[in-house]
Amino acid sequence: MPNLIINGKALTVEPGTTVLEAARLAGISIPFMCSVKGLPHFTSCMVCVVQNTATGQLLPSCSAMATEGLVVETHTEAVVQARAASLNLLMSEHAGDCEAPCTTTCPAHLKIPLMIRQLVDGQPAAALATIYDTIALPAVLGQICPAPCEKACRRGRVDAPLGICSLERFAADEASYTPPPPTLPTQKRIAIIGAGPTGLASAFYLAQAGHECTIFDERAKPGGQLRYGVPNHLLPVAVLERDIQRIHLPGVHFRMNTHFGTNIALQDLKAQYDAIIIATGKTSLEILTSWGLTATSKGIQIQEHSFRTSDEKIFAGGEAVQAGHLTVRAVAHGRSLAISINQFLKGLPVTGPVRRFESRLGQIKDSESQELLKEAAPYSRTVSLAGSGAGFSCDEALRESKRCMHCDCRKAESCKLRDYMEIQMAGPLHVPPEGRKPVERNITHPTVIFEPGKCIKCGICVRITAQQGESPGLAFQNRGFDATVGVPFGDSLEAALGHSAKLCVTECPTGALSWKDS
Amino acid sequence: MTAAPPLQDPVLDLKMVDTLVAECGQSPDAVIPILQKLQAHYRYLPEAALRRVCELTDITPASIAGVSTFYSQFRHKPVGRHIISICHGTACHVKGSGLIQDALSRHLKIKDGDDTDMNGVFTLKRVACLGCCTLAPVIKIDAVTYGHLTPETVARAIQDFLELEKRQVVPRHYEQAKSTPEGLTEIRIGVGSCCVAGGSQTVRQELEDEIKNLGATAVVKPVGCVGMCHQTPLVEIVSATGEAVTYAKVQPGEAAQLVRQHFKPKGIIRKLRSGLTGIMEHLLTDDAWEPVSRYALDVRDAPVCSFLGKQRRVATEWCGDIDPLDLNEYCAHHGMEALKACLGAESPDSLIQTIIQSGLRGRGGAGFPTGRKWNMVRHAPVGQKYILCNGDEGDPGAFMDRMLLESFPYRVLEGMIIAAYAVGASEGILYIRSEYPLAIRRIRDALAKLKAHGYLGRSILGSPFSLTLRIAEGAGAFVSGEETALLASIEGQRAMPSFRPPYPAEHGLWGCPTAINNVETLALVPWIIRSGATAFTALGTSTSAGTKVFSLTGKVQRGGLIEVPMGITLREIVEDIGGGTGSNKKFKAVQIGGPSGGCLPASYGDTRVDYEALAAAGCIMGSGGLVVLDDSDCMVELARYFMTFTQHESCGKCTPCRIGTKRMLEILERLCAGQSQAGDIERLEQLAHTTRTGSLCGLGRTAPNPVLSTLLHFRKEYEAHLAGRCPSLKCQALIAYQINNKCIGCTKCAQACPANAIELAPYQLHVIQQDKCTRCDICRQVCPTDAVEIGDKTSLDGTGSKI
Repeated sequence: MPNLIINGKALTVEPGTTVLEAARLAGISIPFMCSVKGLPHFTSCMVCVVQNTATGQLLPSCSAMATEGLVVETHTEAVVQARAASLNLLMSEHAGDCEAPCTTTCPAHLKIPLMIRQLVDGQPAAALATIYDTIALPAVLGQICPAPCEKACRRGRVDAPLGICSLERFAADEASYTPPPPTLPTQKRIAIIGAGPTGLASAFYLAQAGHECTIFDERAKPGGQLRYGVPNHLLPVAVLERDIQRIHLPGVHFRMNTHFGTNIALQDLKAQYDAIIIATGKTSLEILTSWGLTATSKGIQIQEHSFRTSDEKIFAGGEAVQAGHLTVRAVAHGRSLAISINQFLKGLPVTGPVRRFESRLGQIKDSESQELLKEAAPYSRTVSLAGSGAGFSCDEALRESKRCMHCDCRKAESCKLRDYMEIQMAGPLHVPPEGRKPVERNITHPTVIFEPGKCIKCGICVRITAQQGESPGLAFQNRGFDATVGVPFGDSLEAALGHSAKLCVTECPTGALSWKDS
Repeated sequence: MTAAPPLQDPVLDLKMVDTLVAECGQSPDAVIPILQKLQAHYRYLPEAALRRVCELTDITPASIAGVSTFYSQFRHKPVGRHIISICHGTACHVKGSGLIQDALSRHLKIKDGDDTDMNGVFTLKRVACLGCCTLAPVIKIDAVTYGHLTPETVARAIQDFLELEKRQVVPRHYEQAKSTPEGLTEIRIGVGSCCVAGGSQTVRQELEDEIKNLGATAVVKPVGCVGMCHQTPLVEIVSATGEAVTYAKVQPGEAAQLVRQHFKPKGIIRKLRSGLTGIMEHLLTDDAWEPVSRYALDVRDAPVCSFLGKQRRVATEWCGDIDPLDLNEYCAHHGMEALKACLGAESPDSLIQTIIQSGLRGRGGAGFPTGRKWNMVRHAPVGQKYILCNGDEGDPGAFMDRMLLESFPYRVLEGMIIAAYAVGASEGILYIRSEYPLAIRRIRDALAKLKAHGYLGRSILGSPFSLTLRIAEGAGAFVSGEETALLASIEGQRAMPSFRPPYPAEHGLWGCPTAINNVETLALVPWIIRSGATAFTALGTSTSAGTKVFSLTGKVQRGGLIEVPMGITLREIVEDIGGGTGSNKKFKAVQIGGPSGGCLPASYGDTRVDYEALAAAGCIMGSGGLVVLDDSDCMVELARYFMTFTQHESCGKCTPCRIGTKRMLEILERLCAGQSQAGDIERLEQLAHTTRTGSLCGLGRTAPNPVLSTLLHFRKEYEAHLAGRCPSLKCQALIAYQINNKCIGCTKCAQACPANAIELAPYQLHVIQQDKCTRCDICRQVCPTDAVEIGDKTSLDGTGSKI
């Protein structure tokens, strides 16, 4: 039984154990992409390297055996650099956006293509749940959002952008919404000042996390500017009421007709509550400073991502910190506030929402547009028969949804390349974006989508199909930079991925192989 | 020439597949031999045939698709009736193979991205190296080699080939001659690839015809490579009394004259001279545009003395004296003595001890001590063991192994049998690249003969030791030279290296302990056993014992295959053996070790040939490529050339090599094209570092060497390119052709220009229109007054006149 030392920790392992496996047993995590337990190792990605302390050499831990007397370190500077370099090289040829341009443009970061796939699948409730993941006032925004997402929509460069806003409205209007089961009460209490879009949204997400929220507002009814500022013909009150109704979760209390500064004082709130949100909308500098917070003419000064004010217990968002009229931004702030406060109450570092690494293609070639259009219906933008002010009918919504090019990555949340890039983002090597692989999509399989431009040539799927006895299975073709994974003799993907499809999609470390409907 | 099948077979006859599967077997490792035989038959790999193979064998579609697209030998599309292989080896590259390729495409009107002309007659194929570096630049049309080409003469080479085809001239293959009876004069002619490419087969035919014609008391004897490849074809006439006269560059048409000169009174020659001219019609190397220089070479002549004087023949002992396939002659020159001594008295352990004491290190490049490697295999657990001879020489610009296999097959095999005995292997394989058909044929013949004489097979020479050897043909992948990739290739997989350890010595072919040795290493073994370890160590330096074979090419007067004692300086090789650049251009640098090696400037001329000394200078010993560069060679462009090679040859397995080499190449291409971006040099350095430290195998780890060594010694040239200048005036995008006032208005350039960039202007100064000029160099070559000069593009304005 070989004895070895990893990061100063002495271990004894079974003969034939790899360094990667030995480290895992010792609770030391090493990033890896090209190896899968139970498959022969391939030593391709070179992300799993560790450093041999005796020789200084970098070893791929997925293939290097744990041998007697071996001493390795898993996070030396040389290791970190080599990993970052390999990841940067992999990224330099990667042909795919993590998120679709519509999503990255949306201030609330709504996963629009996913929502649309759910609509196409005839699951408007699921689509609405997707909206509620990031937007607490979907019906409202379905009516009044200026839809910056539509300006970014790639379909707009082909003919006309998707009617994203109308689709959101359709989901909000037509689908039934069941809030997620409540989490255990945390016994934490949060005071939210202002029942406008920011305050309402923050209450929605905080209540979902089990916190007790009390919303104070000087007016008689909640909604803020949405109720008292936007004309009724633009936003019917009934629509607003429907959204507010869904925010009436257990643990959300409204204290209307309560004037902040007169009926309640900040000092009292600080004493009674665990955290405070200021979402008072546009407020004069004079008043803001009178609360004892650092502010400028633009609004309360907050830390960039955490929305925390100069007082660590007090957070602020919406127009109280940034003048402007984009409701979707105010709604997005509400969610960010909830995340920051949740972190604060759990004693975690307060960083706000996770800002994920994003692979971005930017402008794509016309030939690449054609690849993406493979999944999209060719006809032009849907016009609602009931008139421009009315929403889509069921048929219209389905018709319009089918126009989506699905620019996003189906594995955005499970891609190892994205995860590791996030950790290694400060890598020393920056490769100019030219020379990436072309955007390509093979959609011939009934359930699997294959995007060769996202393949890192780890060969996991090639080994799986061989091991599972698929014929023809998948094969490496060509060599070097031109190496690709494909189906022998140009046979169909459906023929290649039969019973092994699930395993291949699950083990593929990137979005090269993914489920069509994910 | 055999009739080739038409471009597209409408109905494919697949019976052939069944026959060849019966021949090659059905196991997965038969895939490469099957594909090779399929392609030999169909001239490409028809999909229907590949599918049939999968039906008949255990070879899976994934395996056949993976393997057939990995090796560059295999073609999936039908080809033209004839294949023109354009050598892009280092020697050819520095002598303008790029311009030759352009000229061929232009002449055959082949469109960009295509490789075959519209009529399906010729297919152009880039090859890494044809191993005829001394004839550079070289192309091969089917089996006929044309050397010393220029963009202007490619058309004539093609015309000549078509005429040969019309006359149905069948190229002859070499067979072993009957041994020379007493009292006869021996006329020795080189039959190494260089000599053959130089036309030696035709010369030999003429010699034999003329001997018969005159009834002369002489026989023609084929001999292996002499190493003086700059003088090919070489004919040596050795009289019965042992006097020898050597003739160099003997051209077809002159051979008969030589015979007459030796066997008839001089007067007759004079009478016959007028009749001789008729023979000089269809020549392989074109004396039509280059006057044939034939002169007697005496070994006492100073240049020859220098060429041979500093050399020391161990691996190439008896070169030029013995018939490669004459076993009796090999034995008469101490051949097989070492093997007999080993099998008779020496135990494998004491044999290994001798090799360890001799300090022999692997000649493939890395220099691992051979004795230690053998010891590991010998002491691996008892069971099946293998011996492999690595003959996958892939360095462009190097042909040591090819020459040794062609000229000294018995010596290589004797070394291999001894190695097998030492390690306890009962089976062995010689892996030889398919680009070396002559070497394969010779080894095959030699193996048959050794078996017939009891040197191979059961109970060799009556001892209990048994060994079978066979050949595996490589299929065109430089990376197969890496030992774990070599194993993968023999096992019928894509030649992708694997992580070591385990080393092949513990876990090699089919998981069994395997000793893998380079051709040259094995060729040195018999001499060491015969002469003793101390004789070998006496030849070299303290850490690098013995001799090293180099192929000396490039800008050198006397190129060829040389064997020198370790410790000799680079300057001695270039100046004394090679005779300097042979032009008025200055010796600038040597490139050692090909795509894995580096460039050393002339100021490093005192560096000794020694594993450690070369490494200390930022270079490597490598397998033996040594290319001399003069001041017209651009170091950035050379780095680009090598990176093109390694990038193309990267197997694609590990990230740093697969993508790192590509990104480095992109930067080098930008630099050479005048499109570089600020920070490119630093980016290049960083990528080189990444690829060097992070790659899985030797190919990737050494791939940045040509970049790093030129950055180290010639950084100024990189900086100049960053500023859009090529100081050597080599990079096409950064130079401009112009005509100076030496122009006499002869119009030759205007007539020759393929791009119509020069207007016809009799008796006037001609002007090159820069926007039309493709920088093909033809005008400069045809100008009788040296009026065409190359200048820096930045010094010209748009109209082509100097600012």
